Amino acid sequence: MSSEQAHRSVEVAARVERRWATIAVIIVVGMALLAAFAGIHRATMPQPRVETTDPSRIHLSGEFVESNLGSVLEANGNVTVRAIGQQYSFTPACIVVPADTPITLRATSADVVHGILIQGTNVNTMLVPGYISEQLMRFTKTGDYLMPCQEFCSFGHEGMWGKVRVIDKTDFANRAKAGGRLSCVGQ
Amino acid sequence: MSTRDLFTFSNRHFTIGVGVIAGILVVTGIAGFIVLPFAQPWVQFANVWDAICSAAGVPQRAANVTAPEQAKRLSEVVLTSRTLSRPSQEAIGRGATLAQRCAICHGPTGISRADSPNLAGQYAAVIYKELHDFRSGARTNAVMSPFAVNLTDEEIADLSNYYAYLPRLPAYHPTPQLPKPNIVIYGAPMRGIAPCGACHGSLDNKTGSPWLEGQSEAYLKVQLQAFAAGDRRNDISQQMRNIARAMTPQEIEAAAAYYASQPPDVVKAVD
Amino acid sequence: MLVNRKLILAHFWLAFAVFGVALTLGAWQMFIRSPIGTWLSNPELYYRSLTAHGTVMGYVFPTLVAMGFGYAISESALEQRLVGVRWAWTGFWLIVIGSVMAVIPIALGRASVLYTFYPPLIGNVFYYLGVVLVVVGSWIWVALMSINLRVWRKAHPGAPVPLAMYANVAGSYLWAWTAVGAALELLLQIIPVAAGLKNTIDAGLARIFFSWTLHAIVYFWLMPTYIAYYTIVPRAIGGRVYSDSMARISFILFLVVAMPIGMHHTFADPQVGAGFKFIHSAFTALVALPTLLTVFTICASVEIAARLRGGRGMFGWIRALPWDNPMMLALAFSFVMLGFGGAGGLINMSYQLDASIHNTQWITGHFHLIFGGAIVIMYFAIAYDLWPHLTGRELIDIRLIRTQLWLWFVGMIVTTFPWHWVGILGMPRRMAYFDFGDPAIAPQALSVTFSAIGGFILLTSGIMFIVILARGMRTPKVDAGPYRFAIAVHQSATVPVALNTHALWVALMIVLTITNYGYPILNLALGAGTSVPAVYVGAQ
Repeated sequence: MSSEQAHRSVEVAARVERRWATIAVIIVVGMALLAAFAGIHRATMPQPRVETTDPSRIHLSGEFVESNLGSVLEANGNVTVRAIGQQYSFTPACIVVPADTPITLRATSADVVHGILIQGTNVNTMLVPGYISEQLMRFTKTGDYLMPCQEFCSFGHEGMWGKVRVIDKTDFANRAKAGGRLSCVGQ
Repeated sequence: MSTRDLFTFSNRHFTIGVGVIAGILVVTGIAGFIVLPFAQPWVQFANVWDAICSAAGVPQRAANVTAPEQAKRLSEVVLTSRTLSRPSQEAIGRGATLAQRCAICHGPTGISRADSPNLAGQYAAVIYKELHDFRSGARTNAVMSPFAVNLTDEEIADLSNYYAYLPRLPAYHPTPQLPKPNIVIYGAPMRGIAPCGACHGSLDNKTGSPWLEGQSEAYLKVQLQAFAAGDRRNDISQQMRNIARAMTPQEIEAAAAYYASQPPDVVKAVD
Repeated sequence: MLVNRKLILAHFWLAFAVFGVALTLGAWQMFIRSPIGTWLSNPELYYRSLTAHGTVMGYVFPTLVAMGFGYAISESALEQRLVGVRWAWTGFWLIVIGSVMAVIPIALGRASVLYTFYPPLIGNVFYYLGVVLVVVGSWIWVALMSINLRVWRKAHPGAPVPLAMYANVAGSYLWAWTAVGAALELLLQIIPVAAGLKNTIDAGLARIFFSWTLHAIVYFWLMPTYIAYYTIVPRAIGGRVYSDSMARISFILFLVVAMPIGMHHTFADPQVGAGFKFIHSAFTALVALPTLLTVFTICASVEIAARLRGGRGMFGWIRALPWDNPMMLALAFSFVMLGFGGAGGLINMSYQLDASIHNTQWITGHFHLIFGGAIVIMYFAIAYDLWPHLTGRELIDIRLIRTQLWLWFVGMIVTTFPWHWVGILGMPRRMAYFDFGDPAIAPQALSVTFSAIGGFILLTSGIMFIVILARGMRTPKVDAGPYRFAIAVHQSATVPVALNTHALWVALMIVLTITNYGYPILNLALGAGTSVPAVYVGAQ
């Protein structure tokens, strides 16, 4: 191979390489844009704020006292669910929510790191002691959903399964009339 | 070009490297801290600065929420893994004196001759918590409550340390050891029941949960039933009610009978 | 020029020995939690095993492979005796001592906290100290790689650093900096609590520190594999590296952007701001770039080999490849697994999609496919390729080697594909048993059974691997000749300074760490008031 030929082939190689690199950059930028776009048009965004709390005192005051755990119908028609994870259960162990309603889940951990995962949905958040997790959700289908703890929380982790029951919107409204915090515990 | 020129803008690699990285940082920073927060109509920010601080993760204390009035008194004890973990000999001695009045029901060696709980060698945090709860009324018992009402914080701590210090002895009326029922070994995962031992000592101890080996069968059964029915509710954030409620009556009986039949030496020590 | 063969062999043998043990534990775990196993009467045993499996596979095994391979590269690519052999042995023994120190509390059930630590769960202090010693031992290796390159540069001023060594040193720097996150978490947060000096800990901050290490560590595991792609495979199959500078750029990109992206592990965490999550998400997309470049360069290099062997046509050349060559086979398997694993990774990096699979079995499936599959199969190939040069003996069981690679590939696919699937169904990670009798999760039973069978295929393959290497210590002596690396099609006499040194890129890596991690860490470290009581596991 003459030196001129060698020089030309280096150029060819570099050109092909540049083309590929351009394609790769376009793929990468496309993916990042997709994430941003999806963030704007779908509700699955990370929670907007970092909020803190003291896990060993949550049962004494604040929003995670026992009488405030469960679902409540807000004045604007939305629903707020408050729950805690602890070794080795969620309280309420069965969460009841209406279908087709914007729901805010607020939850925290009373001891170690736990996680909330509602099977068959993309509701999925960590519960880190000291911090409050907030997640927006909306269910379209009524029925029972399993809600396992998704992070190792010591030796009883395999037994930490909660439940979510999605009921008809009007049923929920009727039950909410009695006041208090709703759950499907023991039903 | 020499190594010295590496960090100058005459170096193409430096310019491109720093430029691209800085560019990406600026663009993603603007997108992540300003555009995306405001693109979410379901979140309200006071102003741009609030949006930026929130996106940066500046910790905020949760807003005050008015919770519905509590129907019944609940436990107000704060427990951590270090609650009462280093008792002094004097504390134990004071506890021994105080414990004389407990001996009628709980036995002179901390082993009950009736169906009251055995306390010898129980975890200190457990006795500490239950005494506080009896005192505050979060847990009630016709016999026990009057004893607890007049205890001071220090007396509660001393009693807890004393009983924790006592050697673990076999039950007063030992029964033949029963095999472990499934509910105790495995729990029932899909009903949200972890193995009992995960909290109650044989696998691990969750602070505030007692070890149960050798306790009275009748006592254990009554307590489980009370938790299940919600009559007893001094378990913080329903940690035991959640479990007991999901147990069947047969499982409650099996678990109570099993624990009553066990010698105390299978429990792991704390510390 | 491999002089310190004993040193390198010691690293490889220890690596593969602990790998064998951890692999056995892994297979047992797959079995015991599947529908064909029986529920453990003591779930702690599962978590104990899982801690050992993760600690060995995550911290000890790949570190030893990278170190042994690094010493081999330093001696053979630079053609220079290793400087600091005594220090190298010190590093090796630190790892041995650290591993033993960590494994004893695990074996006694005193540290069943899993290899991710996740405070406020706290295990025995010696477990953490052991992990620290392992890391310290590996830092000696980092220093030695840097020193050896410097010594060589002095003797060869201005000469291009051989690609293998350039990449190897980049990998060592990446590791040095990556390990700092977990080291800070261990030294500042966990060890004081485990030793009883403190009893509260910020669980959220610990997760941020750990994410600093947890993602880039994957690229440290990946480095030997990529070095093998670029500098061993083309030589072994009779081709050339398509482009030397593209290769350097890929390794540089890993060095710069592998680190400041770890928070995509914390998308679902409440203690990290959404803005930083977005930045990390975008940078995670960027780290796909070096992999895409590598796929192109390696495919092109392989095509060169095929055409040199007489391959023709648009795709016809693929048939001309030396498919009976174990290196070719390993590369192909590795690429297939990298492709699937990488596609899964793209899902994990976007926080919209991540929400569907975060902390499900999908994640375990994903990193087993990438690490256990794409990466480890190249570790096998590296060992096979180096072995004759280390032992002075031939590996004669080529058929067995091919079978072993096939089994690993098939086993990994059978294990991880159903694993991904049950993850999509929402099966959570890290549980000692599942009640598959319940109709709600009964549909997952079949997939989990397949995974368990895959686990045993992998175990079989792993045993074969160790047997092949052991038999390779007993075959007749041969002269394997000097150990060589692939050369580029256009080997230029000079390389731009930026592509021949690491300083600029290390500086960028550190700056990016500060921009992407500095605020989130300081934010919580300085007075967020979020320390929580420690929870000591195993009633200690």
